[in-house]
Amino acid sequence: MLNSLRMSMGWVHTWMGLVLGFVLMICFFFGALSVFDREIDRWAIPDTRFEPQPMPSFDKVLKPVFEQLQPDPVDMAATERRVVGSLPDPETLKLESLFAYNTHRDPVLLIGGEFAIPNEPIDPADDHQHVHGRATVNPATGELLNDDALKIGSDWFYPMHFSLNLNWMMLGYWIVGLAALVMLAGLVSGVIIHRKIFREFFTFRPWKNLFRSSLDLHNMTGVVALPFHFFFAFTALVIFASNIYLPVTHTTLKPLHEHHEMLEAARTGLPHEPSGVAAPLASVDAMVAEAKRRWAERDMAGDVGFLTINHLGDENAYVSIYRAGSDRVALVGEGIHFDASTGEVIREEPPRSVVSSIDEFLTGLHLQHFEHWMLRWLYVFGGLLGAICIATGFVLFVEKRKARHARNGSQGSRIVDALAVTTVTGMVLAAVGMLVANRLLPADLAGKGQWEQTAFWSVWGLAFLHAALRSSPVAKARHNPAWREQSLLVGLMSLSAVGLNWVTTGDHLIKTVFTDTYWAVAGVDLSLIVTALVAFYAAAKLRAPVAAQQKEQAVSRNKQVNAYD
Amino acid sequence: MTEAIWLVAAAMAAVLSMSWLALAYENHWQQVFPQTGTLPNRSRLKLTGWAFLLLSAVFCLNADHPSMAVLVWVMLLTVAAFSVAMMLSHRPGLLKMICPPLFAARA
Repeated sequence: MLNSLRMSMGWVHTWMGLVLGFVLMICFFFGALSVFDREIDRWAIPDTRFEPQPMPSFDKVLKPVFEQLQPDPVDMAATERRVVGSLPDPETLKLESLFAYNTHRDPVLLIGGEFAIPNEPIDPADDHQHVHGRATVNPATGELLNDDALKIGSDWFYPMHFSLNLNWMMLGYWIVGLAALVMLAGLVSGVIIHRKIFREFFTFRPWKNLFRSSLDLHNMTGVVALPFHFFFAFTALVIFASNIYLPVTHTTLKPLHEHHEMLEAARTGLPHEPSGVAAPLASVDAMVAEAKRRWAERDMAGDVGFLTINHLGDENAYVSIYRAGSDRVALVGEGIHFDASTGEVIREEPPRSVVSSIDEFLTGLHLQHFEHWMLRWLYVFGGLLGAICIATGFVLFVEKRKARHARNGSQGSRIVDALAVTTVTGMVLAAVGMLVANRLLPADLAGKGQWEQTAFWSVWGLAFLHAALRSSPVAKARHNPAWREQSLLVGLMSLSAVGLNWVTTGDHLIKTVFTDTYWAVAGVDLSLIVTALVAFYAAAKLRAPVAAQQKEQAVSRNKQVNAYD
Repeated sequence: MTEAIWLVAAAMAAVLSMSWLALAYENHWQQVFPQTGTLPNRSRLKLTGWAFLLLSAVFCLNADHPSMAVLVWVMLLTVAAFSVAMMLSHRPGLLKMICPPLFAARA
């Protein structure tokens, strides 16, 4: 049956694309949203609508904040299951390491740390003997922000992109990884099937039939953005390869890895273990000033992106200060390490090796710490082209088979069509629905973030039910009206999200664009309006096939009636 | 500010480049100039298209560090190709403006 390379590639492309296309759709769409995750956070948490700020003074602002940091109750419970006996009172646990993390787009600062525990592990090989704590700080005032306020952009849409928010056994990461791998195969097989790549590079013929015009759009969006598709699928695998997909350094090569850590500590002078002797912390601000002076000497922009302290309160404690990566593709870098008790420089990191630079470039181009608004928008566009490519792939699958399935009485096309509606318009509904819920639920509602997540899944579930219930025409080789109905709903909900933002916060577009410019919120509002326009346009276009279908049905009914006359 | 000017120039060069590369195909040329009949000078269109592709890269390099410029360039070409495809299918007349008369003449 599959007697040529092109035919066998066609089989792989169709079936792998169909099964994992649903996952890839989520990755592309939420990936495109994640480019502006911090901006979506500002929209969703109006209390944080102020300008991005550099890392604040550690001595004056952050030190007292870290004293208030508490172990995370969820992590406490998870750790308790892995150790002998019960954990001490969380109030008494001592912070042994800490971090503060900031980018040029963050008005708020993410901080966290590890609390030491005295318990023995149940499994002697388990060396993860601490409990994590995490908090968000307003760097201007040093206040801790309410944890109930879910950062919809960076803590929901962003993890949706790489883990589907399915955290059980890290299942989501594995599904997404498999999808990325299959996507690479899909790109290669797609290029093999599609012989006339350059000839059809610019070809889109919307006036042709649905199958042909969808195929044009599928080929074109796949090919014009081929470098984007390839590099994002590939770098996605690179990012998680060493710690999730192929964690050899923590499994097969664990002894070697630990030995290497010791040698590295000896070589760099950064102590691997605490000494057990208490020591005070010198001024971290003075260390930051010294780090900035050294960066300036090398003619580099000098904002701190990442600050860590290890072995806190011990004689062996050291402070590591990394430069924010706003001016290049690579992430944080040019680390300078200080002795925490004396404030002396222990080590200044040398320039990266070639291999390490390539790795930094590949992960950096995907994770985007850089300050380049145009490239950010170009990435959004690339992500949406990927989404179009997959959505048209679903349409092709259904259009190619629905007439045959209708003849054979098969439900195959109907099922695929209903799932396609759910993952295309249904997914947009879920995302916009979450924003609407965010504005409707009171800010001080206990567990507000949980309610927002419930709203997200409920809207998506309802979209699936609606798509499934309305899909019966597909089994008769007709068009599913759910596409149009959900498009209309996307338009209405997007506009109501913009309206609700105005009503609940007073931030309307005239204010956020002109009188009191705040692009983060204006950008989300404008994007919602564009979404609404596209959705209404799609609904108007989709009216034609549904109307034609209804007319056809009416005609055939009349014919039947006439036959009886 | 100069950075923004270079980036706008790079985007314009990318759109021009993609337009000429598209017009070098008989079927697309027919879409834009239905009256002119056959394609006049394919190699000249292609050559100019490729030249502007490189020019766009040079403009990107003027705006940003090379590691960043390469990303901006590749993504600009993607957007430009998509825009040209959409112009061809919806408003082919727009490409007449972009395409100077020099190519319309038979070589």
